[in-house]
Amino acid sequence: MEKIIRRSIADGVHFLSIPDPKFKTLRITMHFLMPMQPELLSDRALLPFLMGRASQAYPDFTVLSQRLDDLYGAGLNSDAGKMGDAQVLSYSITGISGKYAFDGENMSEALGHLLENIVFSPAFENGVFRAEDLRQEKRQLCEMIDSEFNDKRVYAKRRCEELLHRGSPCGYSAYGTKESILRADPTQLKKCWEQMLRSAQVEILAFGDCDVQAICSLFAQAFSKVDRSGFSPLKTERIPLSPIQRMEEQQDVSQCKLVMAFRSGIAQPDDLLPAAKVMSAVFGGTPSSKLFLNVREKMSLCYYCSAQFNSLKGILYVQSGVNTENISKAENEILHQLKEMQQGNITEEEIQAAKLSMCNSLNTVSDSLNALEGWYFSQVYASEIITPEQAAAEIQSVTKEQIQFAASQVTLDTVYCLKEREGEDK
Amino acid sequence: MSFTEKVVSPLAGDYYYKIHHDSGLVIYVYPKEHNNSTFAVFGTRFGSINTKFRIQGETEIYRVPDGIAHYLEHKLFESEEGDAFSKFSKTGASANAYTSFDTTCYLFSSAQNLYESLQILLEFVQDPYFTEENVKKEQGIIGQEIRMYEDDPQWRVTFNMLKGMYHTHPVREDIAGTVDSIRAITPENLYLCYHTFYNLKNMVLSIAGKVDPEKVLEICDKAFHQQETPEVERIFDREPETVCTHYVEQNLSVSMPLFQLGFKEKAGEQLIPVKQLAAREILLEILASDSSPLFRCLLDSDLINENSFDSEFFEGPGYGAYLFSGESKNPRAVEKEILKELETVRKEGFSSETFLRAKKSVYGRNISALNSADSVANSMASLAFSGRELFAYLQALRDVELEAVLEQLQQGFDPEKRVLSVIYPE
Repeated sequence: MEKIIRRSIADGVHFLSIPDPKFKTLRITMHFLMPMQPELLSDRALLPFLMGRASQAYPDFTVLSQRLDDLYGAGLNSDAGKMGDAQVLSYSITGISGKYAFDGENMSEALGHLLENIVFSPAFENGVFRAEDLRQEKRQLCEMIDSEFNDKRVYAKRRCEELLHRGSPCGYSAYGTKESILRADPTQLKKCWEQMLRSAQVEILAFGDCDVQAICSLFAQAFSKVDRSGFSPLKTERIPLSPIQRMEEQQDVSQCKLVMAFRSGIAQPDDLLPAAKVMSAVFGGTPSSKLFLNVREKMSLCYYCSAQFNSLKGILYVQSGVNTENISKAENEILHQLKEMQQGNITEEEIQAAKLSMCNSLNTVSDSLNALEGWYFSQVYASEIITPEQAAAEIQSVTKEQIQFAASQVTLDTVYCLKEREGEDK
Repeated sequence: MSFTEKVVSPLAGDYYYKIHHDSGLVIYVYPKEHNNSTFAVFGTRFGSINTKFRIQGETEIYRVPDGIAHYLEHKLFESEEGDAFSKFSKTGASANAYTSFDTTCYLFSSAQNLYESLQILLEFVQDPYFTEENVKKEQGIIGQEIRMYEDDPQWRVTFNMLKGMYHTHPVREDIAGTVDSIRAITPENLYLCYHTFYNLKNMVLSIAGKVDPEKVLEICDKAFHQQETPEVERIFDREPETVCTHYVEQNLSVSMPLFQLGFKEKAGEQLIPVKQLAAREILLEILASDSSPLFRCLLDSDLINENSFDSEFFEGPGYGAYLFSGESKNPRAVEKEILKELETVRKEGFSSETFLRAKKSVYGRNISALNSADSVANSMASLAFSGRELFAYLQALRDVELEAVLEQLQQGFDPEKRVLSVIYPE
């Protein structure tokens, strides 16, 4: 199998590409990773949005949108997120390959140049970001934070995460707070932009029907003009143990959202990680998992009850939506099923089902640009990069004893419950 | 004898097979030889709107409970020997199903054991097993699914709009029905719906990915036999051209108001031809994409945000509407701007540059969608249910002319047939 290599094209700037003409599109993404610094989160988070609306060459929102239309509806996506203990600013462009363009345009070049212009040449006025652009993006980012509240499943998960991290920076929102967003000023943002180019860890990924050489040299050249001497590599820390905490909130909802966070102490690059992932799948990762079969099918308590494992932090999340009167029934059953695994009550069939399902997902990764990018970016802290197929082989070799051991490391940390407001009859 | 057509698209550089199987079933196979995975959909033209029907040769008109198509979808996974998920757990395929207004589809994605998984899919969909006990058990699960949607503001804003737009058409009812309506679902009425709508002449099998058409045909020959199936007459009460109301609102636990503005269009049981559909998609792009004057005006007046504003043409048997949706502090003002803009464009038209840009953008998006086996298989199936073909639609987008788009503009968007639906915070 071909070894995947992450090339260094400048200090702390990595380039990883897997060209594949089977795709009708190509996608180039730049991720900038920086430590989560509470006082800078909002300023930094504003950058991708601000820079995604205009650049030096396309100095106006409408002009830039028209350019994207001309490039056959190319998509420019920029956002701020988190990866372990880092805040990540991402800029991504996707478009069709030149083969399908009406006039056979060179799309790798056109898309690459547009992305480069967005990142390296913002639309400045008097040397800083434009006040009106910033006003617009502040408003929109605040509205985005507000809209997280509308999806109760997402909202409940985020609240649980905040509690779990107990005020440490990695529990913060990647957007910071509305108050700090509203305080941002153009001069400070320009400093943040310079700092992002100079000192962030940068991961550039290119997939699909793309011209690797052209894209790589475009960005190598762009970074050759940047002073990268301030770069220092990032690391992610595990979460220390502490007693169980609980929180309940009430809102006018018809269905309660229960989120439970468990610590496992098993995180990248631990050898036990594949076992922990299989354990999570046996527990609640598939329709043949313990949670699905018991909490949903046998007890009819919910429509969804599933487990997810976060490999960077070693956290196992369980989420479910239930009626108020059934919350403790569901919680008890979830804990009971965990105990079953800890006591080794895991059948060969359950293990096989979990492994097959995981391998099926892993072997599907190479058919989607999104999945490929997610797969390789998730290994940003890994010492050696592995392909999805290699990961599938690791999953296959996990034993029942390892699964039971991984389960025995799991302890409940945080329980969050969003409940129906009391005294109302729905 | 089965009859196979090879359908080629020079635009996409791809081909697919359309097989008219002996049994009456239409089968689509779209090979993607460099893929790792395959996606299969087996669906029937039976959705939430088909609650009133007559079987040819009978006089009785059947009226079945709202939500029955979706309930049937859940129950079909069970058989006397256990549920389909446990069979798929032995192949690793990831299986699922969905019910829309006019179809029900069963699907899986697999990167291994494709043909075993295909057999399971074809078998379980053809093997209903409904008992008093297993039907009753599902009430708790679907009840929670309905509750989940009751809290989903996006879902509510749409259904409130549809209730305001349609007097009698069942598109105004929730796809899953209500907690009350599903209580009337019994093994008897499930079997009635099953035997009426799950016959091969009413169904489509659609497969895209790493697949050999010969092997598919071999499996289908074994799985399907010619059936004597009566024709079914789908009955809809007469729907006036007017709307019930221009405005509807609801309060939910949200942080910012959400809106959906719909314009009711003429619609028959037969859907419009692909050429008209292509013109409508491009028209919406011209009117409301990121590069449109309308979008810019709404954005600059702080009335919408990039994250949520969207437009689409929504259609099915007996219903059709242009929709604009998003979050806004002032949905009434958004409505006013949209009406104003429609009046302006109707008077002034738009330039050929604007038209070409929109066309390129829509075309590029449709080419991009061919990357994914999932999207290809689903599109082939849903187009087939509407009497359309995938590549014919792509060609229509390439060929559409300015005049055709202007014609759609003149015919549609009657302000008298608009409905604004708003979800306000509590």
